[in-house]
Amino acid sequence: MAFIEIRNLVKRYGKVVAVNNIDLNVEKGEMLTLLGPSGCGKTTTLRCIAGLEKPQAGEIIIDGRSLLAEGFVQPSERGIGMVFQNYAVWPHMKVLKNVAYGLKLQKIPKHKIRERALQVLDMVGLGGLEERYPAQLSGGQQQRVALARALVRNPKVLLLDEPLSNLDAKLREKMRFEIKSLVRRMGMTSVYVTHDQAEAMVISDRIVVMDSGNVVQTGTAQDIYQMPANRFVADFIGTMNFMSGEIISVEAETNSAYVKTEFNDKLLCKTTDGTNLKQGDQVFASIRPEDVEISPDRPETSGNLVAGTIAHKAYLGNFLFFFVTVKGITIRVQVPHYVPLEEGADIYLSLNPEKCMVLV
Amino acid sequence: MPRENISLAAILWAVIAFLVIYPLSVLIIESLRIAGTNEWGFSNYLAFFRDTYYLKTFWNTMVLSTLVLLTTTIFGIPLAYILARYRHRGKTVFTALILLPIVLPAFAGVFAFIIFFGKYGTLNLLLMQFGLTKVPINFIYGIHGLVFIQSLHLLPFIVLSLSAGFTNIDPSFEEAAEVEGASGFRRFITVTLPLCTPSYLAGAVIVFLWPFTDWLTPLILGKVDYLPSVAYINIAYHFTDMNRKHMGIVAVVVSSIVCILLFVLARRWVERKKYTGLSKGTTSEGRVIEPGPIIRYGSYLYMIIVSFVVLLIPIVLGLSAFSRRWVFEPFPTYWTLDNFKLILLESPLLIKNSFLFSGIALIFGVVFGLLAAYVIVRTRIRGNQTLDFIITLMLAFPGMAVGVSYMLAFWNGIPLATHWIIMPIALFARRLPYFLRMAHSSYLQLDISLEEASEVSGVGKFRTFLYISLPLLLKGVLVGVVMFFIMAFQEISTAIFLYKGGWETLPIGIYLNWHRGMEFGIAAAMAFLMIVITFILLLIISRIGGGILKAAWGPGEK
Repeated sequence: MAFIEIRNLVKRYGKVVAVNNIDLNVEKGEMLTLLGPSGCGKTTTLRCIAGLEKPQAGEIIIDGRSLLAEGFVQPSERGIGMVFQNYAVWPHMKVLKNVAYGLKLQKIPKHKIRERALQVLDMVGLGGLEERYPAQLSGGQQQRVALARALVRNPKVLLLDEPLSNLDAKLREKMRFEIKSLVRRMGMTSVYVTHDQAEAMVISDRIVVMDSGNVVQTGTAQDIYQMPANRFVADFIGTMNFMSGEIISVEAETNSAYVKTEFNDKLLCKTTDGTNLKQGDQVFASIRPEDVEISPDRPETSGNLVAGTIAHKAYLGNFLFFFVTVKGITIRVQVPHYVPLEEGADIYLSLNPEKCMVLV
Repeated sequence: MPRENISLAAILWAVIAFLVIYPLSVLIIESLRIAGTNEWGFSNYLAFFRDTYYLKTFWNTMVLSTLVLLTTTIFGIPLAYILARYRHRGKTVFTALILLPIVLPAFAGVFAFIIFFGKYGTLNLLLMQFGLTKVPINFIYGIHGLVFIQSLHLLPFIVLSLSAGFTNIDPSFEEAAEVEGASGFRRFITVTLPLCTPSYLAGAVIVFLWPFTDWLTPLILGKVDYLPSVAYINIAYHFTDMNRKHMGIVAVVVSSIVCILLFVLARRWVERKKYTGLSKGTTSEGRVIEPGPIIRYGSYLYMIIVSFVVLLIPIVLGLSAFSRRWVFEPFPTYWTLDNFKLILLESPLLIKNSFLFSGIALIFGVVFGLLAAYVIVRTRIRGNQTLDFIITLMLAFPGMAVGVSYMLAFWNGIPLATHWIIMPIALFARRLPYFLRMAHSSYLQLDISLEEASEVSGVGKFRTFLYISLPLLLKGVLVGVVMFFIMAFQEISTAIFLYKGGWETLPIGIYLNWHRGMEFGIAAAMAFLMIVITFILLLIISRIGGGILKAAWGPGEK
C-alpha cells in the first residue's frame, strides 16, 4: 500500500471539471511532481490533498488514514506541511513566530518550541534572522521561512505549490537543489506542483504529467522524455519535431511501424508498447532536434534519409539550431556550435529509426 | 516646470489660504485673547484646564468616544465578516441598509429615536399596553442612549473598513494557518484579525473622533456635559458673557486639536503598517465561505435586526411627517398632509435655500476638486502633497470649528458674512475633501499614457483634459458630485453659526422646528423629505457607480 493513495478524485467548479477522476500513488519518502500547463488541475489536486478544497467524489488516504470517505478531515487535522506559491508568510509576525506557529498549537514546552524552530531555521540557512519581520527579508529568504514553517512539525507529507515561481531565474535553480537535498535528508514524502519542466526533472523522483484534469503519463524524468505517451507530453516536455503522416504497416515483433509522411514514403519509427496502431491511422512521426543527424554529403546509412535546405540558423551559445526545409516542411535540428554549415546549404538529414517514434 | 501649472497651484493655494488657513488662524488668535481686553496669552487655556467642569466635559467626551468605538467594534466585526465572507441571498439589500446611516443626517436618528424609544414613545407605550412594564423604561436618556444613537450612525464606517480588510487579505495567509493546525476561531484571532488592523484603524479613528464633533445629539438628549455641546452652548447662547464665549472657543480649538492629532497619528500608523502580500493568481473577491445552516440563519437574524433599527429612522419620521399631534399613542391616529403642504407650498424657502446653497457649493467643489486632483496627481509642483494633506485634514475637522472661525473671520475682518454667499462658501470649505477624494482616486487609476498619446498627437493640455481625461474620469466624478451634494445638503454644524433670517436651510429648519415642541411634525416632514431626496440621489449613484461607492468610501483606501 502506497503512503499517499488517491482514488477516483473528482473536483468540479460549477460545470468546469478541474480534476477528472484521477488515481495517484506516492510511495513513502518519494518526491512526486505534478507537472502541466496552467489549468490542468495540478494545483487543485494538491489543494485537495491539503484539504483546502472539498472534492465532489473520490478518496484520499495518507498513511492508512482515510481523509474523505469516512468524513471530510479538516486541513488543520491532516498533519501536513505546505509551501504556498506566494509564500504566505504572515507579515505581522516575526520569523521565529511564523515558524513556531504550528508548534504552539501542540502541547510542547516553550523552550522546546524555540529550540526546534531555531534548529529548522538553521537548516534552511536563516540562522540569526529569527527576530526579523518578513518585510525585512528578500523574496528568497521569505521562501525559506515558508519552507521552515512547513517542515518544523515534521509533517507526514510536505506539499509544495509552485514554490519557486516568484524567484528570479538564478535563485530558482539554486533553490531547486536545496529543496531536493533538504527533503531527501529528512526522508519526507512530498508532492510538488510546477509548470516548469526543467524544475520537475531536477527535483522529482517521479513525474505525473497532467492535462485538462487528467493524468496523461506517470514515470521518471527519463521515461517521460524518452518515451512520451502522446503528442501532448512530447510537446510539453522538451522540443519535438512532429511530422504528420499515416501508418503503412505495423511491425509488431520489433515494436516499430512504417509511416508515410509528406516528404518520405516509408519512415521507420518505434512504437510505444501497448498502443494499438493499425494501417491507415493518422499519426505523427516524431523526433527530437538533438536526435536528427545532419551531413553535407549523402551518408552511407540508407534508412530514413531525407534531403533538405537550411532555411535559418540560430546561434544559442553552446549549440546551433538549424531550421531545415524538407519539401515545404520545417524540421528543427540541434547540432554542436562548431558545425560549419550556413543558411542556404543543401544537406541530408538522417532520422535515426531508433529515435524516431510514432505519437498520436 | 510649466508656467501654467505653477499659476494653477498658486490659485489653489490662494483659495486654501483664504477659506481654510485665514479663518482658522483667526480662531486660534481669538482663543488666545484675554476676554474683554486686547491682551493675549494662554490664560484662557489655563483657565479651561483648571476648571473642573471643563475637565469633566473633556473626560466625558473621551469616555463616550471609547464606548462608541467599543460598541461599533463589537457589533461591527461579525457584521463585516458576514458581509465580506459569507455567500448569502439579498447581500446587496442588506449591505445598502446597513451602510445607510452614512448618508442619513445624524440628527434624523436622534429625532426618530426620541419618538420611538422616548419615555412615552412608541416602544414604551406598547410595553405598558401589554402590561410588560408599569413605569416607562429609560431607553435613550443618558450615556447609554448617546452611545446607542452615535454607534448606529457610525457603525457603517467600521463595517466598511473591516469588510474591506477581510476581503483584501490574501487567502493563502489563512490557508497557511489552517494547514499549520489552527482552525476556525483561533485562525481568526491569530491571523485574520491582526492582518485587518490597518484598515480597521482607518475606520476606527473616524468613529472615535465623532463625539468630539457631535454637539447636537447630546444637546437634544439633554446630556450637555460634552466638549462640543458645551462649546455650542457657550458660543451660541452666551455670547454676551465674554468669558463663557472664550471658553467655548477654547473648547472648539481643543476638540479640533484632538481630532487633527488623532487623525494624523492614525494615518501615519496605517501607512507604516500596510501589509502587502505577494498576491498572485488570487481572486479579487477574497475568500468566500458557504456557511452551515446555524451560522447562516444566525447571520440572517443579525442582519435583519440591524437593518430594522436602521429602518426605524425613515419609518418613524415618515409616520410623524404624515400625522399631527402624535403623542401618547404608540402609532399616529390623525393622518394629514398639512406638514408637507406647509413646507412645500407655504414656505418653500428652506428647500430653495438648501438646493441653492448646496448647488453653488457643488460647483465650487467640482471646479476646485478637478483642478486640485490634477495638480496633486499629475504635476510635481513643490508642496502639492502638503495641499493634499491640508484638504484631507478637513475630513477630521469639526464642522463647528469651521462655523465659529468663519463667524469670527468674516464678520469684522473681511465682511463676507453679511451676504448669503457665505453659506455656499462655508459648505464648500467644510466638504472640500469629499469630491476631491473621488476625483483623486479615479485620476490615479487613469493611465497617464492615454493623455500622453493625445498630446503627442498634437492636442494641447487643456483640450486633452477636456476630450480624454474628463470622459474617462466621468464615472468617478459623477459619484463624487452626488456624494458631495448629499453631504453639503445635510450640513448643519457649520451653517448653524452663519445663517441669518431668510438663509435657513432644511437641516436648520428641522432643528428650529423641533425646538417649537408640538411642531415636530413639520420637522419630521422636512427630515423625511431630506431622506427621500438622499435616497433618490443614492439610487442614482448606485446606477452609475455600482461598487464604486463602497470602494471610494472605504476609509482604508486612499
